[in-house]
Amino acid sequence: MRRYRKTAYLFLTPFLAVFIAFYLAPVCYALYLSLFIRKRVGIGPPKDVFGGLANYIRAVQDTDFLIGLKNMFVFGVVQVPIMLGLAILLALLLHQSRGFFMKVCRTAYFMPYGIPTAIGAMVWGYLYAPNLSPFNQILRAFHQGTIDFLSPAIVLFSIANIVTWTWTGYNMITLFAALQNIPQDLYEAARVDGAKTWDIVRRIQIPLLLPTLRLLFIFSVIGTSQLFTEAFVLRPLGYLADNITPNLYVYLTAARDANYSYAGALAILLALLIFVISGPFLRRIASR
Amino acid sequence: MNNSIVWRSFSPSPGRRTALPFLPWVVAGYVCLLLPSLSAQSAYQEPDYSKLKPESGPITLEVWTWVVGLDKAAPLFEQAFPNIKVHINNVGAGPTEYQKLQTAIKAGSGGPDVAQIEYDFLPSFIVTDGLVDISEYGASDVKSFFVPWTWGQCSPDGKAVYGSPQDSGPMALLYNKKIFDQYGLTVPTTWEEFAQQAEKLAKASDGKVKLVDFVPTQAPWFIGLAWANGATLFKQNGDSWTQSLNSPECQKVLDFWAELIKKKYVATIPDFTPEFYTAVGSGQIAASIEAAWGPGVLAQSLNDKTSGEWQVAPLPQWSKGQPFRSGNWGGSCDVVLKQSKYPKAATLFSIWLNAAKGPVINNWTSYGIFPASLSGLASPDLNQADKNPSKFCAGQNVAQIYADASKAVNVDFEWSPWFAFVNDDYNKQIAALIAGAMTAKQALDAWQADSLKNATSDGYDVKGK
Repeated sequence: MRRYRKTAYLFLTPFLAVFIAFYLAPVCYALYLSLFIRKRVGIGPPKDVFGGLANYIRAVQDTDFLIGLKNMFVFGVVQVPIMLGLAILLALLLHQSRGFFMKVCRTAYFMPYGIPTAIGAMVWGYLYAPNLSPFNQILRAFHQGTIDFLSPAIVLFSIANIVTWTWTGYNMITLFAALQNIPQDLYEAARVDGAKTWDIVRRIQIPLLLPTLRLLFIFSVIGTSQLFTEAFVLRPLGYLADNITPNLYVYLTAARDANYSYAGALAILLALLIFVISGPFLRRIASR
Repeated sequence: MNNSIVWRSFSPSPGRRTALPFLPWVVAGYVCLLLPSLSAQSAYQEPDYSKLKPESGPITLEVWTWVVGLDKAAPLFEQAFPNIKVHINNVGAGPTEYQKLQTAIKAGSGGPDVAQIEYDFLPSFIVTDGLVDISEYGASDVKSFFVPWTWGQCSPDGKAVYGSPQDSGPMALLYNKKIFDQYGLTVPTTWEEFAQQAEKLAKASDGKVKLVDFVPTQAPWFIGLAWANGATLFKQNGDSWTQSLNSPECQKVLDFWAELIKKKYVATIPDFTPEFYTAVGSGQIAASIEAAWGPGVLAQSLNDKTSGEWQVAPLPQWSKGQPFRSGNWGGSCDVVLKQSKYPKAATLFSIWLNAAKGPVINNWTSYGIFPASLSGLASPDLNQADKNPSKFCAGQNVAQIYADASKAVNVDFEWSPWFAFVNDDYNKQIAALIAGAMTAKQALDAWQADSLKNATSDGYDVKGK
């Protein structure tokens, strides 16, 4: 048994080495940095002095950061169900259909996932520009008022739309694959018992998709907490709040304001929060 | 529309598109410019570069700049200094570059030898202790070759010198003469006339054409206009600072614009976006308050669409009979990083780039970089009717108007190390102003308060004034 364990570690080494060097070590460094605060005397580089939990106390009182977290929750509550709902619907429809058209659709839905996030966001940036936007041109053609997709009140949902566009296809393919795994005899048995299509969906397909759905849900929640690129790319096109997503706020604190210790504290808090939220779900998946 | 434009996060200096089509012209331009300096005597004065001794041995300098086409200067430099190779790298404009630079300085490695930094952002790098005081390598001796106030921007305390000035951005009014003629508009010389023309145009065009764009996401644009009204924003007194973003001078300017915005006489489109260039290129905006580098940028970004329709006029004034005043928007210097292995060679390149005739003249005619070199400013070669930005303005001597504006800029203007935050927070307040959620006074007060809070929590001893 011991010998096997050694072998296992031997195989794990390449992964662990990279994981420790590029993941755990930076996290530990951020934790270390977050314990310092800056003291300035005149013009010149600040001195870092040990501040204990001062940065964390500042963070929990930082309304900008808290509003960022609120944005994240609003985003998650609105976007994740829409995206997963669409993915289920598309997967079920694709599962029902056959032939060339199905293949074309499958590829088309999946394609946005293959486009780099930054490029996708830039394309959407053009589509959102108030006067250039084809959506607004259509609205104008029908003498309707136009929408400023980049205005502060709407932009979070414009970002949600980009994320949905990117990730629905990915989620759909995963669900589609899970559907293929449902044994054929279950369907036959259901038909024999007189089940209609809707009964099959409700009583067979959806329940059997649940484990996959749970996993996709957890990925989506984690993805929501990591939102950054779309907001970062759209930012030069208009006013996007620094705290439109918590990650953007952390980035600007570090890279713009050069306040690495405070950014470290924010990042650690954000990670803890996601851990607390996603932990129970992960445990349920692991226990199966 | 011009969909070849890819937006940049912030572009205080020219160049939105790659300049590949210009390449043969650029090379030819350099050759032509070099010839006279070899033969007949022109008045162009250059520093004695032999006094700036680089390190020995083969050297490669990494240079970060977002001036598109500056890489064409590298071969010329390499020819003059065969031991030094220069690698020019465009890692993004303005804040995009700064964020990488801050990270590299914090990391202690990975940064370039030379980097372009705008004057307003320079203090935020001085406080990192990551920049070389290039006066240690003989830079003080070349001070007399540059416009004094731009030199002052590179040397806030008057002793240490943190970069060599590349360009400046005195402001003027760029207007589309075709649209002005079509609607019978007169070129405003005061802001009062400006508001009248804005109203006249809005009514005559049924709101379809706006006089100008109020730039909602470029704090330095507004600051330039406040600057022209006598505002100063920051002052360092020993170890402490004062900040006055909501001074009466600033408020007078924003009040004026808030009124025009409310009446919808001006557009409020973020600058440097496809949206903006489309509006300008399709005649929905009749004029633009532009810094000296603006006409060159616009010519390039519009791909010479509407070329020849434009003219530059002096910035409107608050009252007639007062001494003429302008403000400054942008302008950069080239700094040397402490992590550079070749600080002497880097100093030499940074000075050569901004003082040598070849790059200085060509940077204006190709990319609209308005020189900080005195000889460059005085050079008749800036006025080439068949080249931008003059060509864009129907052959007008654009450089002359901006040179006059440059003389009318209050040269005693300081920035602060927390300007990166101030710059972004402006966008937040202006968005609220445009949405009608704030008055001009409220917006400026909030700008002042947010920025003070940020600076204080970052350990600065700063008071509002």
